[in-house]
Amino acid sequence: MSQSLAKQCNEVKERYDTCFLKWYSEKYLRGIGAIDNNECSALFKEYSSCLQVALKERGIDKLLEDAREDNKENDAVYLGRKKCKIRALGPVFLSALMICSRIFIFHV
Amino acid sequence: MKVFSNSETFNYSWEEVSTANWQKYCPWNEKSTHVIAVDTISRSVDPATGILRTERLITCKQTAPEWLKSILGAGMEESQVLETSYVDPAHRTVTMVSANLTFSSLINVQETVVYRPLNAHQTQFTQDAKITALCGGWQRIKNSIEDTMVKRFRENAIKGKEGFESVLAMSRRVFAEEREREKMGLIREQASNIRMAA
Repeated sequence: MSQSLAKQCNEVKERYDTCFLKWYSEKYLRGIGAIDNNECSALFKEYSSCLQVALKERGIDKLLEDAREDNKENDAVYLGRKKCKIRALGPVFLSALMICSRIFIFHV
Repeated sequence: MKVFSNSETFNYSWEEVSTANWQKYCPWNEKSTHVIAVDTISRSVDPATGILRTERLITCKQTAPEWLKSILGAGMEESQVLETSYVDPAHRTVTMVSANLTFSSLINVQETVVYRPLNAHQTQFTQDAKITALCGGWQRIKNSIEDTMVKRFRENAIKGKEGFESVLAMSRRVFAEEREREKMGLIREQASNIRMAA
Protein backbone atom coordinates (compact mmCIF):
# COMPACT_ATOMS: atom_id res chain seq x y z
CA MET A 1 0.00 0.00 0.00
CA SER A 2 1.04 3.58 -0.53
CA GLN A 3 2.27 5.84 2.24
CA SER A 4 0.29 8.57 3.96
CA LEU A 5 1.24 12.21 3.70
CA ALA A 6 1.55 12.13 7.49
CA LYS A 7 3.85 9.44 8.87
CA GLN A 8 1.86 9.16 12.10
CA CYS A 9 -1.21 8.02 10.09
CA ASN A 10 0.56 5.23 8.18
CA GLU A 11 -0.38 2.41 10.51
CA VAL A 12 -4.13 3.13 10.60
CA LYS A 13 -4.13 3.97 6.88
CA GLU A 14 -2.65 0.55 6.10
CA ARG A 15 -5.35 -1.19 8.13
CA TYR A 16 -8.09 0.86 6.50
CA ASP A 17 -6.77 0.34 2.93
CA THR A 18 -6.61 -3.44 3.49
CA CYS A 19 -10.16 -3.47 4.85
CA PHE A 20 -11.45 -1.35 1.95
CA LEU A 21 -9.78 -3.43 -0.74
CA LYS A 22 -11.32 -6.62 0.65
CA TRP A 23 -14.76 -4.98 0.85
CA TYR A 24 -14.41 -3.53 -2.67
CA SER A 25 -13.35 -6.75 -4.40
CA GLU A 26 -15.43 -9.24 -2.41
CA LYS A 27 -18.60 -7.29 -1.71
CA TYR A 28 -19.03 -4.03 -3.59
CA LEU A 29 -18.15 -5.32 -7.07
CA ARG A 30 -20.30 -8.40 -6.52
CA GLY A 31 -23.22 -6.40 -5.19
CA ILE A 32 -23.14 -8.26 -1.86
CA GLY A 33 -24.00 -6.88 1.56
CA ALA A 34 -24.70 -3.36 2.78
CA ILE A 35 -24.41 -0.57 0.25
CA ASP A 36 -21.89 1.33 2.38
CA ASN A 37 -18.64 -0.22 3.60
CA ASN A 38 -19.73 -0.48 7.20
CA GLU A 39 -17.07 -2.93 8.32
CA CYS A 40 -14.40 -0.36 7.41
CA SER A 41 -16.21 2.73 8.68
CA ALA A 42 -14.68 2.71 12.17
CA LEU A 43 -11.18 2.38 10.71
CA PHE A 44 -11.87 5.18 8.25
CA LYS A 45 -13.01 7.46 11.05
CA GLU A 46 -9.81 6.78 12.95
CA TYR A 47 -7.63 7.34 9.86
CA SER A 48 -9.57 10.47 8.93
CA SER A 49 -9.18 12.14 12.31
CA CYS A 50 -5.43 11.49 12.18
CA LEU A 51 -5.20 12.92 8.67
CA GLN A 52 -7.30 16.02 9.38
CA VAL A 53 -4.72 17.26 11.86
CA ALA A 54 -1.94 16.90 9.29
CA LEU A 55 -3.96 18.61 6.56
CA LYS A 56 -4.75 21.56 8.81
CA GLU A 57 -1.11 21.92 9.86
CA ARG A 58 -0.03 22.12 6.22
CA GLY A 59 -2.89 24.37 5.13
CA ILE A 60 -4.14 21.78 2.68
CA ASP A 61 -7.65 21.78 4.18
CA LYS A 62 -8.33 25.22 2.67
CA LEU A 63 -7.07 24.16 -0.75
CA LEU A 64 -9.30 21.11 -0.58
CA GLU A 65 -12.38 23.21 0.13
CA ASP A 66 -11.74 25.31 -2.98
CA ALA A 67 -11.10 22.27 -5.15
CA ARG A 68 -14.31 20.62 -3.92
CA GLU A 69 -16.24 23.72 -4.90
CA ASP A 70 -14.78 23.51 -8.41
CA ASN A 71 -15.63 19.82 -8.63
CA LYS A 72 -19.38 20.23 -7.99
CA GLU A 73 -20.08 20.25 -11.70
CA ASN A 74 -18.37 16.88 -12.11
CA ASP A 75 -20.39 15.48 -9.22
CA ALA A 76 -23.61 16.53 -10.93
CA VAL A 77 -22.55 14.81 -14.11
CA TYR A 78 -20.94 11.63 -12.86
CA LEU A 79 -23.32 10.90 -9.99
CA GLY A 80 -26.46 11.51 -12.02
CA ARG A 81 -25.46 11.07 -15.61
CA LYS A 82 -28.80 9.72 -16.73
CA LYS A 83 -30.61 12.80 -15.55
CA CYS A 84 -28.06 15.32 -16.64
CA LYS A 85 -29.77 16.45 -19.80
CA ILE A 86 -33.22 16.79 -18.35
CA ARG A 87 -32.79 18.14 -14.86
CA ALA A 88 -30.02 20.71 -15.14
CA LEU A 89 -31.03 24.28 -15.88
CA GLY A 90 -29.45 27.51 -17.05
CA PRO A 91 -25.66 27.82 -17.16
CA VAL A 92 -25.31 24.53 -15.32
CA PHE A 93 -27.33 22.97 -18.10
CA LEU A 94 -24.86 24.10 -20.74
CA SER A 95 -21.77 22.94 -18.92
CA ALA A 96 -23.44 19.69 -17.91
CA LEU A 97 -24.48 19.14 -21.51
CA MET A 98 -20.90 19.73 -22.63
CA ILE A 99 -19.57 17.19 -20.16
CA CYS A 100 -22.42 14.81 -20.98
CA SER A 101 -21.57 14.97 -24.63
CA ARG A 102 -17.98 14.20 -23.68
CA ILE A 103 -19.14 11.11 -21.83
CA PHE A 104 -21.18 10.25 -24.87
CA ILE A 105 -18.06 10.42 -27.03
CA PHE A 106 -16.26 8.17 -24.56
CA HIS A 107 -19.01 5.62 -24.89
CA VAL A 108 -19.08 5.52 -28.67
CA MET B 1 -4.68 25.81 -23.22
CA LYS B 2 -2.97 22.61 -24.25
CA VAL B 3 -4.52 19.14 -24.35
CA PHE B 4 -2.89 15.80 -23.75
CA SER B 5 -4.80 12.67 -24.72
CA ASN B 6 -3.83 9.05 -24.39
CA SER B 7 -5.49 5.67 -24.65
CA GLU B 8 -4.26 2.22 -23.61
CA THR B 9 -5.57 -1.31 -23.43
CA PHE B 10 -4.88 -3.56 -20.45
CA ASN B 11 -5.25 -7.32 -20.86
CA TYR B 12 -7.10 -7.68 -17.58
CA SER B 13 -10.79 -7.71 -16.75
CA TRP B 14 -12.48 -4.48 -15.66
CA GLU B 15 -12.95 -5.92 -12.16
CA GLU B 16 -9.22 -6.61 -11.86
CA VAL B 17 -8.26 -3.18 -13.21
CA SER B 18 -10.71 -1.29 -11.04
CA THR B 19 -9.46 -3.16 -7.95
CA ALA B 20 -5.76 -2.71 -8.75
CA ASN B 21 -6.44 0.96 -9.45
CA TRP B 22 -6.66 1.54 -5.68
CA GLN B 23 -3.12 0.17 -5.35
CA LYS B 24 -1.68 1.87 -8.38
CA TYR B 25 0.90 3.80 -6.37
CA CYS B 26 2.08 1.04 -4.05
CA PRO B 27 5.65 -0.30 -3.75
CA TRP B 28 4.85 -2.87 -6.50
CA ASN B 29 4.89 0.07 -8.88
CA GLU B 30 8.53 0.96 -9.32
CA LYS B 31 7.88 3.40 -12.15
CA SER B 32 5.66 6.03 -10.56
CA THR B 33 8.15 7.05 -7.90
CA HIS B 34 7.09 10.69 -8.23
CA VAL B 35 3.97 9.82 -6.21
CA ILE B 36 5.08 9.80 -2.59
CA ALA B 37 1.74 9.60 -0.76
CA VAL B 38 -1.91 8.75 -1.43
CA ASP B 39 -4.55 9.57 1.17
CA THR B 40 -8.26 8.90 1.09
CA ILE B 41 -10.08 12.06 2.14
CA SER B 42 -13.68 10.95 1.76
CA ARG B 43 -15.62 7.97 0.50
CA SER B 44 -19.31 7.24 0.08
CA VAL B 45 -21.77 5.16 -1.92
CA ASP B 46 -24.56 7.12 -3.59
CA PRO B 47 -27.75 5.35 -2.44
CA ALA B 48 -29.68 6.19 -5.60
CA THR B 49 -27.15 4.98 -8.17
CA GLY B 50 -24.81 2.71 -6.17
CA ILE B 51 -21.88 4.80 -7.45
CA LEU B 52 -18.83 4.77 -5.17
CA ARG B 53 -17.41 8.30 -4.88
CA THR B 54 -13.90 8.69 -3.47
CA GLU B 55 -11.68 11.69 -2.90
CA ARG B 56 -7.97 11.00 -2.76
CA LEU B 57 -5.18 13.43 -2.06
CA ILE B 58 -2.13 12.54 -4.11
CA THR B 59 1.20 13.99 -3.09
CA CYS B 60 3.89 14.16 -5.76
CA LYS B 61 7.55 14.98 -5.64
CA GLN B 62 8.87 15.89 -9.00
CA THR B 63 11.74 17.97 -10.14
CA ALA B 64 10.78 20.85 -12.35
CA PRO B 65 13.06 22.58 -14.85
CA GLU B 66 15.07 25.39 -13.23
CA TRP B 67 13.39 28.14 -15.25
CA LEU B 68 9.95 26.97 -14.16
CA LYS B 69 11.04 26.83 -10.53
CA SER B 70 12.06 30.47 -10.73
CA ILE B 71 8.55 31.39 -11.96
CA LEU B 72 6.57 29.24 -9.57
CA GLY B 73 8.86 29.98 -6.66
CA ALA B 74 10.30 27.78 -3.95
CA GLY B 75 8.41 24.76 -2.72
CA MET B 76 8.02 23.31 -6.19
CA GLU B 77 9.38 20.01 -4.85
CA GLU B 78 6.09 18.81 -3.36
CA SER B 79 2.71 19.26 -4.94
CA GLN B 80 -0.79 17.95 -4.32
CA VAL B 81 -3.55 16.76 -6.60
CA LEU B 82 -7.18 16.08 -5.64
CA GLU B 83 -8.54 13.04 -7.44
CA THR B 84 -12.30 12.48 -7.33
CA SER B 85 -13.33 9.09 -8.63
CA TYR B 86 -16.68 7.55 -9.48
CA VAL B 87 -17.06 3.78 -9.76
CA ASP B 88 -20.30 2.90 -11.51
CA PRO B 89 -20.84 -0.86 -11.06
CA ALA B 90 -24.01 -0.86 -13.20
CA HIS B 91 -22.33 0.70 -16.23
CA ARG B 92 -18.94 -0.80 -15.28
CA THR B 93 -16.95 2.39 -15.53
CA VAL B 94 -14.39 4.07 -13.33
CA THR B 95 -14.08 7.80 -13.95
CA MET B 96 -11.36 9.78 -12.20
CA VAL B 97 -11.24 13.56 -12.35
CA SER B 98 -8.06 15.18 -11.02
CA ALA B 99 -7.17 18.79 -10.40
CA ASN B 100 -4.02 20.38 -9.05
CA LEU B 101 -4.28 21.91 -5.57
CA THR B 102 -0.82 23.41 -5.56
CA PHE B 103 -0.12 26.46 -7.75
CA SER B 104 -3.78 26.57 -8.73
CA SER B 105 -3.61 30.34 -9.15
CA LEU B 106 -0.82 29.96 -11.72
CA ILE B 107 -1.69 26.85 -13.58
CA ASN B 108 -4.80 24.75 -14.02
CA VAL B 109 -4.46 21.06 -14.79
CA GLN B 110 -7.67 19.05 -15.22
CA GLU B 111 -7.31 15.39 -15.97
CA THR B 112 -10.06 12.87 -16.71
CA VAL B 113 -9.33 9.15 -16.79
CA VAL B 114 -11.93 6.51 -17.67
CA TYR B 115 -11.56 2.73 -17.35
CA ARG B 116 -14.19 0.67 -19.09
CA PRO B 117 -14.37 -2.94 -20.29
CA LEU B 118 -13.65 -3.77 -23.92
CA ASN B 119 -14.63 -7.40 -23.34
CA ALA B 120 -14.44 -9.93 -20.49
CA HIS B 121 -10.63 -9.92 -20.49
CA GLN B 122 -9.63 -6.45 -21.64
CA THR B 123 -10.04 -2.95 -20.24
CA GLN B 124 -9.61 0.34 -21.99
CA PHE B 125 -7.97 3.32 -20.33
CA THR B 126 -8.56 6.79 -21.74
CA GLN B 127 -6.82 9.86 -20.40
CA ASP B 128 -7.45 13.44 -21.31
CA ALA B 129 -5.71 16.37 -19.65
CA LYS B 130 -6.28 20.09 -20.14
CA ILE B 131 -3.44 22.35 -19.12
CA THR B 132 -3.91 26.10 -18.83
CA ALA B 133 -1.28 28.55 -17.60
CA LEU B 134 -3.12 31.35 -15.81
CA CYS B 135 -0.33 33.74 -14.93
CA GLY B 136 -0.47 37.13 -16.59
CA GLY B 137 2.33 38.11 -18.86
CA TRP B 138 3.80 36.98 -22.07
CA GLN B 139 2.04 34.38 -24.14
CA ARG B 140 5.43 32.85 -24.83
CA ILE B 141 5.96 32.10 -21.15
CA LYS B 142 2.47 30.64 -20.84
CA ASN B 143 3.11 28.47 -23.87
CA SER B 144 6.41 27.25 -22.43
CA ILE B 145 4.78 26.35 -19.13
CA GLU B 146 1.99 24.47 -20.88
CA ASP B 147 4.43 22.67 -23.20
CA THR B 148 6.56 21.60 -20.23
CA MET B 149 3.49 20.16 -18.52
CA VAL B 150 2.36 18.31 -21.65
CA LYS B 151 5.88 16.85 -21.95
CA ARG B 152 5.70 15.74 -18.33
CA PHE B 153 2.31 14.12 -18.92
CA ARG B 154 3.73 12.23 -21.89
CA GLU B 155 6.71 10.95 -19.88
CA ASN B 156 4.51 9.97 -16.93
CA ALA B 157 1.99 8.22 -19.20
CA ILE B 158 4.65 5.79 -20.45
CA LYS B 159 5.95 5.16 -16.94
CA GLY B 160 2.38 4.97 -15.61
CA LYS B 161 1.41 2.21 -18.03
CA GLU B 162 4.53 0.16 -17.22
CA GLY B 163 4.06 0.65 -13.49
CA PHE B 164 0.38 -0.24 -13.55
CA GLU B 165 1.10 -3.39 -15.58
CA SER B 166 3.37 -4.66 -12.80
CA VAL B 167 0.73 -3.80 -10.15
CA LEU B 168 -1.89 -5.72 -12.16
CA ALA B 169 0.38 -8.77 -12.51
CA MET B 170 1.21 -8.75 -8.80
CA SER B 171 -2.41 -8.21 -7.82
CA ARG B 172 -3.55 -11.18 -9.95
CA ARG B 173 -0.90 -13.39 -8.32
CA VAL B 174 -1.84 -12.32 -4.79
CA PHE B 175 -5.57 -12.86 -5.39
CA ALA B 176 -4.88 -16.31 -6.90
CA GLU B 177 -2.77 -17.26 -3.88
CA GLU B 178 -5.50 -16.13 -1.54
CA ARG B 179 -8.13 -18.16 -3.40
CA GLU B 180 -5.81 -21.16 -3.21
CA ARG B 181 -5.37 -20.69 0.53
CA GLU B 182 -9.13 -20.41 1.03
CA LYS B 183 -9.65 -23.59 -1.03
CA MET B 184 -7.03 -25.48 1.00
CA GLY B 185 -8.65 -24.30 4.21
CA LEU B 186 -12.03 -25.54 2.96
CA ILE B 187 -10.59 -28.94 2.02
CA ARG B 188 -8.93 -29.27 5.42
CA GLU B 189 -12.20 -28.35 7.10
CA GLN B 190 -14.14 -30.90 5.08
CA ALA B 191 -11.53 -33.57 5.82
CA SER B 192 -11.80 -32.97 9.54
CA ASN B 193 -15.61 -33.05 9.30
CA ILE B 194 -15.42 -36.43 7.56
CA ARG B 195 -13.00 -37.71 10.21
CA MET B 196 -15.33 -36.54 12.96
CA ALA B 197 -18.32 -38.18 11.32
CA ALA B 198 -16.47 -41.47 10.86
